[in-house]
Order: sequence, then structure tokens, then C-alpha cells
Amino acid sequence: MVRLVAALALPLLVPAIITALIWALPGDPASIICPPESCGGTAVLAARWNLDAGPMAFFWGWLSGAIHGDFGNSWRLQQGVPVAELLQTAVPNSLVLIALALVPLSLGSALAANGWLPRKADPVLQVVGLVPALVLSLVAAAGVELTYGAASFAGQASWVRLLAGALVLGLADGALSGAITGTRAVFLTENQQRYVGIAVLRGERRLTNTLPNVASALAGQLRARVLHLLSGAVVVEAVLRIDGIGDLLWGGTLLQDFGVVLAAASGFAMLSSLLLVTQALVEIAVAWHVRRAPAVGRLERA
Amino acid sequence: MSGRSARWVALGIALVAILLLAGLALTAPEHLAVPVMDRAYAGPLDLFPFGADARGRPLLEYAQQGTRVIALPALVAGLMVMAFGVAGGLLACVASGTANTLIQALGEVVGALPRMLVVLVVALVLPKDARGLMPLALVWAVLAAPGAMDEAASVAQRLGGARFVEALRAHGYSGSRIFGWHVVALNLRPVVVRQGAEVMMQVVFLEIALSYLAVAEEQPSFTHADSLVSWADLLNLGYPALVLDVPTLHALVLGLCLIGTIAVLALSLGVAARAR
Repeated sequence: MVRLVAALALPLLVPAIITALIWALPGDPASIICPPESCGGTAVLAARWNLDAGPMAFFWGWLSGAIHGDFGNSWRLQQGVPVAELLQTAVPNSLVLIALALVPLSLGSALAANGWLPRKADPVLQVVGLVPALVLSLVAAAGVELTYGAASFAGQASWVRLLAGALVLGLADGALSGAITGTRAVFLTENQQRYVGIAVLRGERRLTNTLPNVASALAGQLRARVLHLLSGAVVVEAVLRIDGIGDLLWGGTLLQDFGVVLAAASGFAMLSSLLLVTQALVEIAVAWHVRRAPAVGRLERA
Repeated sequence: MSGRSARWVALGIALVAILLLAGLALTAPEHLAVPVMDRAYAGPLDLFPFGADARGRPLLEYAQQGTRVIALPALVAGLMVMAFGVAGGLLACVASGTANTLIQALGEVVGALPRMLVVLVVALVLPKDARGLMPLALVWAVLAAPGAMDEAASVAQRLGGARFVEALRAHGYSGSRIFGWHVVALNLRPVVVRQGAEVMMQVVFLEIALSYLAVAEEQPSFTHADSLVSWADLLNLGYPALVLDVPTLHALVLGLCLIGTIAVLALSLGVAARAR
């Protein structure tokens, strides 16, 4: 229940906090974007970006537009271009990147859950996981640029950039090693329960018995891993020049383009909300599954 | 190698790395040297010990200034997470159920968003004169704290939590001996030190990433003053050597070695603090 409430609140809270912070800065927002001493039309700009009526009017104006798919225009990054247009390209790219990065993590987790990955491999994975995303991204970017050229952003090159980015995200900053050791730890703890030993003696599979009981923990781990990937995506997309939401957020932050940052941050908040909802649904499904199980009294009578 | 000797070796490696980094940070010059174009792209053999940049300025100064940029914020963030971890562990020893619920709730709230998003929003709204790595490092530490507290609380609960403390009290042990020695020094130490070292490393990597992305776009960094350079400048200087015929590979190697030093430091601190 708490997760569902948080999931509903996040997409509203994030832009609200950013709006409040913009107004908390010294000087009014229009002057930050267009300092009167160096830029003539500060007042016109303030009126055009709806900055002249205070934070509440700005926030509600932005929110009502966002609900209808209008996120306003970019202030600086690509001045005048509708942010919705930028998001239309960025969001699918980021989703594909994260989905591809989840492939090695899911594979590693599945192998660890079944006990098919030797523990001897852990130190190697941990050392690989120490390499920061920036370094691996630079290596990947160099590979792509040498093969396809620095200005290759279409066709096969764009897919190679996505695949290389996904591989970097999956390996760097301990993503893969964390997924493997985390999943293995959950299953090792659960496998020590008495019911698992009894199930094995009855000829049942260990995994089918433990999976429902560890599903909530695994869903929590999955959410943490996707959040970790989303965090890393900012660096990977910017270095590999993948037109994603992380790259948009970085570009907006660097150039103080509040219009882009508001939309990109809200995009991240939406994705985070979806993850919270997914985790909540898994927990509800597990609770429902447990309620369906026969009560202890019935089992004893049987 | 036995566990005991591995811990001593790791401690030795960590000390060497700390001394090296402290030496670099403490000897960092206020500004880069005046360009000497005759020494442009000088290799380590021509200009000891690391060579020079495109304007003939020694790369040693890049390493020194970069270390100065990261040293204090990374240390403070690491210590902060360690303090949070100890607090989480101790709370689990005095009020297991409530503390655990509170820590988990805090973790849910703080961990609901990607950390980089929070850091970038903070970087965005920092006034230009307040820019620096310290506020970002503190934010990162706060975001990492619930995880450290949760893990430390799990360790304390595996230990027995409040029952463990009661048992030691029954043996007549003083509060400081129970909490300071038995709980923190003997049992929480491995997890708390590892978490602190990891956060320290993450803050360094965060600085390098943010600075590199800014430098690559020829924009000022969020993490240090424009007059300073960071290790990211070494990577930015060295990267063209991979894709173009520019003789700056020595800058890239130096940047990677410094990053490697941080990774080795974090790893060895974790190994050195392992339980017996």
C-alpha cells in the first residue's frame, strides 16, 4: 500500500521539488536563464516561459500541459524545440538500453539461483565490477568510433552504440556481480529452511519451492538494480552519445535548461513509479499465493 | 595465503595507497604551471614522472590537483556512511523491530529514485559560488546511508540484537565494552568499513564522471573551481589517443592508474576489515 502511494506521489513530487528549488535559487528564474545585464528580453522571456506568475502558477501550468503531453519547449539545450519531441526519441532509446542491460543481469541471476555459477568466479566478477561506467563507456565509444566513425548515429551504428552501452551498464559499477551475489545470497538463506529439505526428500525441485517465498526479495533487488542502471545510463548515454533520457537530463543540467530537466526528471520519476508498482504487484501476488496454500490444520488432518 | 596474512597484506596496500593519495593532495599547486610549448606532449621519460599535456604542463600537477578535489569530500562521505552504518547496527541492538522498520522505510523513500537524478538536481540548483564536490558527496552519502544501515542492522540481528546485548550485560560487561568493542569493533566493522570504502570510491567515480562529461562539452565542472583540473581532464586529454593519432596515451594511462588506485584502496580496505 505504501509503495502504491509512493508510486502515485513520485511523478508529482519530483517536478514540484524541482520547481521549488528553481525559485529557491538566488535571483528569479528568468534572470538566471537570461541575465538582464547581458540579455535584453528578460521580461519577455519570463512571460513566454510562464515564469512571471510565481512557482505555483508555473508548476500547475507545467503539470496541466504535461498531462496532455505538452512539456513546454527547451530553454537552452535545443532552444524552442518542444520537449515532448525530445522525449519521444529519448524514452524508447533509454528503455531499450535498460532492457538490453538487464539481459546479462537476468542471466547471471538465473544461473546463480540454480547454483550453476561457481563461487570461484566471484572475485573475477567483483574486480570487473570495480571498473567505473565512465571508463568502460570510453572504451566502448572508442571502439564504435574506430569502426563506424565519430558521427555515426544511424542504422547499424546506433544499434551497436545501444548494445555497447547495455554491455557497459550490465558490467560496470558492480551491476553483474551484485546481481549474482545478491540472488545467490537470497536463495542460499532460503535453502537452509526446513521445508526445502523436506521438499527435496519428497523428490520436488528446490527452486519451485523456494521461488514463491523469495519472489518479494527478488522483486526488491530487481527494482534496486534497474534504479542502478538508470543512474548509470546518464553517464553511458552521454559518453556513447545515445539519444536517451539520461543524456537529455545531463544536457539540461549542464546548460541549466530547466524545461528539459523538469521533463527528464519526471520521466525518471515515472520509471521509478513503475518499478514501485511492479514490486507492489509481485508482493500482492505472493501474498495471494500464500493465502491459497492449505492451512496448517488442514495439512495436519490430511 | 591465510586469512590473517591476507588482511595484513590488504592493510599494507591500503596504507600505501592512502599515503600516495595524501602526498599528492597535500603537495597540489594552486594553479597549473605556465605553459611551455617546447615540452608539449612530452612523455614520462622526457618530463619525469608522468610527462606533459598539449601545452607542456606537467601531468603530475593534474594528478595532484585532481587528488585534492576528491580527497576530502570522498573521505567525509565514506566516514558519514560508516557513522550511519554504526548507528543502524546499534539501533538494531537496542530496539530491533521498530528500528528495522524505520530503517527500511527510510531506505524505501531515499532509494525510490535513481541516485544520479538526485545528484544532478542538486548540482543544477547549487549556486555557482557554492559549486564543489562536497555537497554532491554529502548527498551521495545520504542516499547510500539507508543501505549501509540496513546491512549493519541485519548483521546486528544475526548476532542476536537486543538479546546479545542482554547476554553480555548478564556477564557484567560495561556498555562501552559491549557496544564499542563487541558490537561495533568485532561485528559491525567488516560491513561498515566496506560500505564506507565503497561510498568513498563511488564519490571519486562520480566526480570523474561529472567532470569528464562537463569537460568533454567544454563546460565548467559542477565539482570544482574552473582554476582546478581533475583526473577527468587526464581521461579527456588521453581519450583522443585511442581514436586519433594524438600522442597523449600517457595521460590516459595515468588517469586509469589513479582510478585503479582508488579501486584497489576500496577493495583492500574491505579485505583488511574482514572478520577473523
